[in-house]
Parts: sequence; C-alpha cells; structure tokens
Amino acid sequence: MKTVLKEIKKKPIEYLILLIIFFIGTSLYFIFRFEAAVQRIIIYSIITLYFFWSLYYHQKRGDLHLSIVIEYLIFAIFALVLLTTTVF
Amino acid sequence: MKRLWLMFLPHEKNNHRAGILKPGFLILFIAIYLLNQSILKTLTTLKPGVLGYSSEITAKKVFDFTNTERNKIGLPSYHYNSVLSESAAQKAQDMFKNDYWAHNSPTGKTPWDFFNNVEYKYSVAGENLAKDFYDTDSMMKAWMNSPTHKANIVNTKYQEIGVAVVNGVLGGVNTTLVVQHFGTPLNGIIKDTTPEEIAFNNSAAVESKVLAVNSQHFINPVNISKFIGIGMFLLIIVVLFMDSYITLKNNTHRLTGSSASHIGFLVIILLFMIFSQQGHIF
Repeated sequence: MKTVLKEIKKKPIEYLILLIIFFIGTSLYFIFRFEAAVQRIIIYSIITLYFFWSLYYHQKRGDLHLSIVIEYLIFAIFALVLLTTTVF
Repeated sequence: MKRLWLMFLPHEKNNHRAGILKPGFLILFIAIYLLNQSILKTLTTLKPGVLGYSSEITAKKVFDFTNTERNKIGLPSYHYNSVLSESAAQKAQDMFKNDYWAHNSPTGKTPWDFFNNVEYKYSVAGENLAKDFYDTDSMMKAWMNSPTHKANIVNTKYQEIGVAVVNGVLGGVNTTLVVQHFGTPLNGIIKDTTPEEIAFNNSAAVESKVLAVNSQHFINPVNISKFIGIGMFLLIIVVLFMDSYITLKNNTHRLTGSSASHIGFLVIILLFMIFSQQGHIF
C-alpha cells in the first residue's frame, strides 16, 4: 500500500482526475444497475477514459512510449472482454 | 522453480517486470478466458440444458408483488385472469419453441396474437418479459426501474393480469421465463374471482412443475465466467502490488505503466463483476 501511495504522491493532480473518473463512473453504474443499455455505455466510457487518462498521464511524465500504450490497451481490452461476458 | 518466481516477481532476468504483467502473458489470459467462453457456448449447443439459471419465482409471487407496487401508489389491485395467464404461458412456450427472446417472434407473431389465440377481446393490452432471474424481488425491481415496464405495472387503464412462469431451454441454457399479460376486456366485464384460489387452482400443476424443476441444479454459465475472471484479476492485482513494492524498494527505474492506476482500474472492474445483477427484462 505504501508503494502505491508513494507513486500517487509524485503526480497527485493526475491521480485525482483518475479518482474522479472512477468515482463518477462507479456511482452512475450503481444508479443505473437495472438498465443494461445504460450500464453498457458507462462501462465503455470508464474503460475509454482510463485509456485516454493513461496517455495524458504518461505524456505529462514524459515517458509516453508505444510499449506503455500497448500495456494500457491490453488492460482495457481485458476489462472489456470480462465485463461484456459477465455483466451483459 | 526459479522460473516460476520470475512470473510473479520483478528481477534482472525478467527485465524487472513480473512475467504475468507483460503484454504477452496478459494476452494469454484473455485467450484463456475467451477459450472458456467458447467451451461454454459449445456446451450449450452440444448438451443443451446442462447450463442454466435456477429460480424460485412463482406466478403467485409475481401477481402479489405486482399488486403491492400498485397499492403503494394508491392504485387498485389487478384482477387475476386465467385466460390472460394462458396467453402468457403460450407466449413463453413459443419463445422456447422458436428460441427467441423478444416481444415479436421471428415468425412474425406479435404479443396481441397470443391474446387473440385465447379469444381475449381487449380494449387495451400490454406485455412484460423477464428471464434468468433467481428471485421475484430482483425481477420486480428491474421492471420498476425501467420506465416502460413500470408503466405496464402501474397502468391505470389495465384492469386484469395473467402471469406465466415457465421453465425451459433458451439458447441452449436452462432458464425461467416470466411473462405478464395485462389487459382490459372490451366488454368491460371483469370476472369475479379470488386471486388466491385462481393462482392455486389454475397454476397448481405449473407451480408444482416449477418447484420440481427448480430443485435441479444447473451449472450457471455466468458464475463460471465470473469465477474465472475474478480469479484472474485478483492474481494480477496481487502481482501488481508485489511488483511495484519490490521495484520501488530497489529503486529500479523502468519503462512501464502506473501500477497504482492499474490496481485502481482492476478493483473497479472487479466490483462491477461481483455486484452485477443476474437477469434480463424485455
């Protein structure tokens, strides 16, 4: 846990943006938990925003590299595959 | 043994990144998961009825819960109409027979055709559908949270309701279909019946069949997928923690994504999977 917090302290604004994305997305997901179509849109939005946040974050850090983009893309695809087969 | 540790911990030999977190291995995880989905899909085709969703829903509960929702906002209860229950049961059986999940069948039948089949002459009519729910309460919540389905349940023009709860195999998976048929008779004559009696007498055979079938245990395909997915994500989260701890402790500089953001993202996705609701309405 300390290592995670240490990482966050280096770029607090960027992580705050990510936290806001997660908080709003999660809240909307549970508000619309009985509407599958809306949930689908929320999930796609969270995953997309997470990917674009990663580009922004690493651009700011000065280490935006193809290998890092691929890493985040794979995590995004993994989440998408799992959610579309279990939630919907 | 050492090679195994390289999968979970960063080391000079694995370029200071746990093997599991590398793109190749993550893609392998996705492939394994998709293979699981293919196997489940093949099972539904080769051995239909092995996979399924068990349910404790009964027609009487659906009828009672529907009227509870109406009474909450001061509306009178629906009258139970066994003819409408018959049309609802025929609709459910048609969905199983022609393997579809919709108000209109692929053969062109509309919900109103089922009303006509039982010779229910109506001035207004409506239909609600549900499947894969385990309990009546969750199903009612799903309907009440959907504006169009709620409109049928709390409609001031409808006076009668029929309910069918039918088990069968849809898309190779055992499930319980729930059909509500609403209507107001064209001649304005409401049958003077006692809901409890009608539910017991007319659906006793169906309810006992429902109870017998519900006692069978099916392999829930969504639970299998969830179990595998949650297991994979938990493993990745734990490895991310260990990976970032060792890297920061050794003050190793490397070109990788943010472990903190990956952990946060995966935890959110995990929560969505764990708390996702079973069941669909139409």
